Amino acid sequence: MSEYYVCTGCALLCDDIEVDIEGNKVATVHAACRKGVARMKGCSDPMECTVDGEKAEVDTAISKAAEILSDAKNPLIFGHGNSSSEAQKRSIALAKKTGAYIDDTSSFCQGPIVEAILQDKIKTCTLDDVRHKADVIIFWGADPSNSHPRHLSRYSYFPRGKERQRGWEEDRTAITIDVRKSDTAVISGDNRFYQIPMGGDAEFMDALVSALSGKVPKTSYGFDVKRILELSGVLKKAKFGVICVGLGLVYSLEELEPLFKLMNKLNEVSDFNLIPMVGQYNMRGFNHDLFEETGYINRVKFNPETGEAEHGAEQSVVEALRNRSVDAALIIGSDPLSSLPLSVSRYLAEIPLITIDPCQNLTATRSTVTIPCALGGVEAGGTAIRMDGVEIEMKKIVDTDKLSDEEILTRITEAI
Amino acid sequence: MGFGQFLAAPEIKLKIVTYRDVFQNTAQETSRFGEDYEKLSAVIKLDPKDMVKLSIKEGETVVVKNAFGKVVVTAQSSGHEEAHQGIAYMVNGPWSNALVPDETGGTGVPKFKDFEATVQGSKGEKVTGIRDIF
Repeated sequence: MSEYYVCTGCALLCDDIEVDIEGNKVATVHAACRKGVARMKGCSDPMECTVDGEKAEVDTAISKAAEILSDAKNPLIFGHGNSSSEAQKRSIALAKKTGAYIDDTSSFCQGPIVEAILQDKIKTCTLDDVRHKADVIIFWGADPSNSHPRHLSRYSYFPRGKERQRGWEEDRTAITIDVRKSDTAVISGDNRFYQIPMGGDAEFMDALVSALSGKVPKTSYGFDVKRILELSGVLKKAKFGVICVGLGLVYSLEELEPLFKLMNKLNEVSDFNLIPMVGQYNMRGFNHDLFEETGYINRVKFNPETGEAEHGAEQSVVEALRNRSVDAALIIGSDPLSSLPLSVSRYLAEIPLITIDPCQNLTATRSTVTIPCALGGVEAGGTAIRMDGVEIEMKKIVDTDKLSDEEILTRITEAI
Repeated sequence: MGFGQFLAAPEIKLKIVTYRDVFQNTAQETSRFGEDYEKLSAVIKLDPKDMVKLSIKEGETVVVKNAFGKVVVTAQSSGHEEAHQGIAYMVNGPWSNALVPDETGGTGVPKFKDFEATVQGSKGEKVTGIRDIF
């Protein structure tokens, strides 16, 4: 019988992956998308263990990392989206012990949506519900054909679900609302692609609420009223609808109120759920873990004396770096010098910096200490939370000499 | 060498929207320092009419800059049917992030998908290497 593994290429956490192993390396990956295949085969330039730019033993690097964190008054611990939930919990404990700022990528992407879901402000469902039941699927500011390549084929559009046996040809309608004609918009078709101007999302939501309430939908940018009325007709008739929220929408909304209003209206006239298109494989896991520990999903600073969590925009990674309020940083499974605006992340190169990652990256090139770790889902197992909140168990595929990030964090914590 | 080299290349101000690309993302998984990652990341996609204004052709390099940074990237026609003059697209990565403003209004969220930069033909400058962005 085949053995199936989990792909950690994105937060779909596809669990139907088969692999061929040659010489303790993943040689062939079956069923994953191209991004997943590249992730599971591993990178071509693994990170080396270094201290001050010189090759070092792991024990030495761990001691140096512990020293940096103990010496710092306000350290920052950031990353977490590419770590198992077990490692994330270790990281939260380390932040508590060192009175650190702790944050993750959700702080500047899907955080508000995940928070609203965990606070029961938005109705959600699982990807399995989408596969079996969804007949109207809206991709709003999302382009899964590029960001989550198997979203449409495995869950949202193409599959024959239990209640959707005729699949995309007859049983499902895909709708794309975006500022540009993405690859996903092309799949939705010209009739089902709604191109709105940059920043026009909130108004389009208000217009849809008007249309769903039997009023004339108006936008300041003069979107074709007939098309909005026709779209609202499709949404009203939906038996099981889902909005897949992408970063395009998250960044466009100054507050979530227009989205709440639209969801409430949709659920008066029909049945609609929402799923955030989370990028990194276990970003949502970190949000769940920190929420459980502190009541906040991200942007926390632990008080060094009381261990209490302070939370707010000031505790976010971006503001902490902008305000230069951190004096050392530990980065786990992330490359902020690539993924944050350089105008914000540049400051990291001025402070003692520790990077834990399987692969060499830009942040590592500026780090005082680099500690290579096992690749999650391939060289180390653990649990992770899929974009829809479902917990997924990851099995280790091959052995490695490298420590997992969980073990590295445990050892750093013990050394402090 | 022609007379053109002594003339300033035309410069235009554009709004930039970042997006995701699966091929670039795949290259990133393999190596952030590889040729493929640079080739697929250091790109700006322009409306054909904006390319005419800039007097540049597909595949030539352009200087993209604002108060926050400056990079040299390859110009490509976006291929979108709808005209989008004044708006350009850059794939999310270190090259686009070199230009994203640090202004957040105290929200903790930079404007990754909505910022301005000027674009100008580079007269043959090489694409900025990933190690030179910093």
